[in-house]
Amino acid sequence: MFERRLYHHIDWAMMAALLALCGIGLVQIYSATGGATRVYFTQIYGILIGLVALLATLSIDYRTLADKSHVIYIGVVALLVYVLFFGAVRGGSRRWIDLGVFNLQPSEFAKMAVALVLAKLFGESRRGPVTRADVLIAGALTAVPLLIVARQPDLGTAVTMLPVLLVIAFVAGMPMRVFGILALAAVLVAPVAWKFALKDYQKERISTFMDPEQDARGAGYQQIQARITVGSGGLWGKGFTKGTQGQLRFLPVAHNDFIFSVLAEEQGLVGVLVALGLYLFVILRAIEAARLAKDRLGAYLVLGVLASFTFQVVYNITMSAGLAPVKGLTLPLMSYGGSSMIATLAGFGLILNVRMRRFTN
Amino acid sequence: MAEGEDRRQVTVRLVALQATTVVLFTALAIGFWYLQIVQHARFEEMAENNHQRALALRAPRGVLFDRNSKVLVENRHSFTISIVREHTKDLDRTVQLLAAVASLDPRQVKQIVDQHRGEPAYRPIVVVEDASLAQVAAITARRLDYELPDVVVEEVPTRRYPTDALAAHLFGYVGEASDAQVGQGLASSGSIVGQSGVERVYNKLLMGEDGARRVVVNSVGREIRTLEEVAPKEGRRVQLTIDYDLQKAAEDGFRNAGFNGAALIMDPNNGEVLSLVSLPSYDPNDFAAGIDRATWAALNTDKLRPLQNRVIQGRYSPGSTFKIVVATAALEEGLVTPDFKVNCSGGANFFGRYFKCHLKGGHGVMDMRHAIEKSCNVYFYTLGNMLGVDKIHKWAENLGLAGKTGIDLPNEQESIVPSTEWKRQRTGEKWYAGETISVSIGQGQVSVTPAGMAAMISTVANGGTRITPHVVKAIDDGTGWKDVPPPAVASRIAFRPDTLSALHDGLWMVVNAAGTGARGRLAGRDVSGKTGTAQVISLQGRERARGSGQDLRDHGWFVFFAPKDNPQIAGVIFAEHGEHGYLGAPIAKHVIETYFAKKEGKPLPMLQPTVPARPEADPDSPPAIPPSAPPVARVGGTPNGV
Repeated sequence: MFERRLYHHIDWAMMAALLALCGIGLVQIYSATGGATRVYFTQIYGILIGLVALLATLSIDYRTLADKSHVIYIGVVALLVYVLFFGAVRGGSRRWIDLGVFNLQPSEFAKMAVALVLAKLFGESRRGPVTRADVLIAGALTAVPLLIVARQPDLGTAVTMLPVLLVIAFVAGMPMRVFGILALAAVLVAPVAWKFALKDYQKERISTFMDPEQDARGAGYQQIQARITVGSGGLWGKGFTKGTQGQLRFLPVAHNDFIFSVLAEEQGLVGVLVALGLYLFVILRAIEAARLAKDRLGAYLVLGVLASFTFQVVYNITMSAGLAPVKGLTLPLMSYGGSSMIATLAGFGLILNVRMRRFTN
Repeated sequence: MAEGEDRRQVTVRLVALQATTVVLFTALAIGFWYLQIVQHARFEEMAENNHQRALALRAPRGVLFDRNSKVLVENRHSFTISIVREHTKDLDRTVQLLAAVASLDPRQVKQIVDQHRGEPAYRPIVVVEDASLAQVAAITARRLDYELPDVVVEEVPTRRYPTDALAAHLFGYVGEASDAQVGQGLASSGSIVGQSGVERVYNKLLMGEDGARRVVVNSVGREIRTLEEVAPKEGRRVQLTIDYDLQKAAEDGFRNAGFNGAALIMDPNNGEVLSLVSLPSYDPNDFAAGIDRATWAALNTDKLRPLQNRVIQGRYSPGSTFKIVVATAALEEGLVTPDFKVNCSGGANFFGRYFKCHLKGGHGVMDMRHAIEKSCNVYFYTLGNMLGVDKIHKWAENLGLAGKTGIDLPNEQESIVPSTEWKRQRTGEKWYAGETISVSIGQGQVSVTPAGMAAMISTVANGGTRITPHVVKAIDDGTGWKDVPPPAVASRIAFRPDTLSALHDGLWMVVNAAGTGARGRLAGRDVSGKTGTAQVISLQGRERARGSGQDLRDHGWFVFFAPKDNPQIAGVIFAEHGEHGYLGAPIAKHVIETYFAKKEGKPLPMLQPTVPARPEADPDSPPAIPPSAPPVARVGGTPNGV
């Protein structure tokens, strides 16, 4: 299955960038949690398992995976349904399967499954431009896991599936007017959603974002603290383990959602630019892989995986600087979290897979 | 559709994606540049405010010593529990939880918090002063659980006063600075300042300087480390003129006799106060860590007025003790010599009215010495009539009895000895010569403080120098003890030798011959003194007030010095509702005995419980003044002054 010559086509530059980001994340987790704690080692295991997962998704030809995409998709949806009823509850939501050693979060893998199934749908299509039927089917395929995850509730992860659909549909040639209609629909639906779909705490987060000072002790607290954390870092930062905001826990979940704020505090703008550069490099390199892909399936698969990744990176970093409403969205590759790390690296396995096999038949 | 065109469209859209990504990341980079470079200073300051706290370290107040360097008032450690609203997320929750944990009334906690609502949020609001160890333990446990991150427990120095409320009115008490005191710049809000007594008068010296500690705290307010610490500066140590043993002797004397009242005992040569008593008293320890409402209300509504310092704030009719002033005036004005004789037949007519002596049959012919010894009213009516009220007033002033003594304690009241000028200003009426007759035996509108009496007897004792009573002897300014120079002498008049010998002889005879002060007699000490009885209410008033439950018994005075020649100790015992002046004499005797025993290194005398006094005739009891004497019939001083 894994031919020796393919080894030469692995994108080692991207691999290096990925590992560098994992490393930066690990260092900041070490700092934010006060040393080599359990969290730190869990993250190391996460990275190692993630690399194994990466090898796995790299080894199997993506076309073979795409052929089995419906099985994977149905399997993941089944897991999500299982979680909805039997999953472990933490912090008021039911997202995890308790595996004893660690908790598995199937929603992280749902993104990949959606990317696979949509890439297959659009990539296999030989009927020319995207039809309305394609869009409807794609929409339905995205909606099923999205709604289940939203029910957990985990609106943050659910929303990351939307970019998968949008980007694949966009590159697959969905007419721009459809995007226009979608945008219009979103504008129309928003007030209704505000009224009926969002929970109070979700509404609060959004209204707080508009004016964090109105609730400086409550929901606005994190946002203000995030800005203070980043702003006080300055050009060169306060130094490794010297950040006061993260070290003294003014910033909640510093090793998780706000890992980038900690980086900004301790390593300053310089560290921020290095990390941003690495992410940008990875993303552009992946788009390059999509361009080089041998077939449309490969291109769409790369973009599908990349879409949720990029969305999450941009949103999390914006939030880390206190410039977006606080949402429970982690920063892929850097934040603490086993499932996220494994799923993300597995996703990049697919991207590397497509690039590596650009010459094969 | 051609594959190539399809491919081209994909490429175009990929480029669009690339461009979008680059734009997004550029925007992010600009965002971070704005926060981290442009706004850096502002956020850096906010981060510092976040994790650094300045904690005030309360300075211990200066220790008070007695004249023999015995510690009287010192400091102990106590715990305060405060809320720092800066860290509070939900104030009501904190109040409820704190009240539950520390067994407090939540409404009261809320009230305290509301009182300080206007202050900056970083300033701790003290909810519990002098918390119990159980409270401290309960709070600390909750803090570790992050349940009460906004509640802090601090160890603070707190005043410790002697037990049994010893010399309470001398020390005074401390309390949180009032808004007025803060407004005058005397203290910062929330600081502890002296509110009464020495604590108040010498507050500036005693207060010291609070220190500060800058600490790093985490988000739940726990201190991580100290950045810098400015140690608090303890207040100046102050040595009082008080002698602990004499203070105790005087208070024991009162307790033994079962009286309330006042005493001021001092060195008549320099005005150093050896003992200052005002009873009933209060426990200054109740104030040290913030007084609770109930105790404060009880002290304020108590009919016996325990907060009043009777020595300087109580004004009473001096009764027969005032005869000393009249005798001095007559001798020093040169109107009479000590040999001047008056025949007492039990009363005399002045201005068409008959004024009685206390001895029905009369004292017969007596000179000055015997008139003092026997406290003959007719003799002093005669002197008073010769002098006129203004000369009496002048000599009361010369002796230090009129006006204030100038003692270094707060809120002293003036002693009043009337004069024609005084009456004209006060009532617009002229003085009737008949009124002078009552004044000459300490009745009428004479109303004096025990402090004034002590000053008067001291002047008589030392031969004319009007010293100012004072309570501070030395101050340790940080480089060692420095004696505080005694306050300036108010006036210095050398009495004529025959004045002095007549006064001293007469007063000696009061105690050591056939006078009323026999209970003050002490072998070999030549105690000299004079008793007096201050009418609380006139005989007619007594009829009217019958059944009102008021204590209408007369007050007793005993002014004294010892020994007769070169007096070393002088003072006054005022026995509130003691009925007879002579009952105060044993208290004086005990103090004098203690004084000499201590001086000569002998064991201090023990007080024997008194057997109930056998009733005896009291020559000081005021004579019944005929009801037909309108301007004269002013009743004795009101017990609590004006």
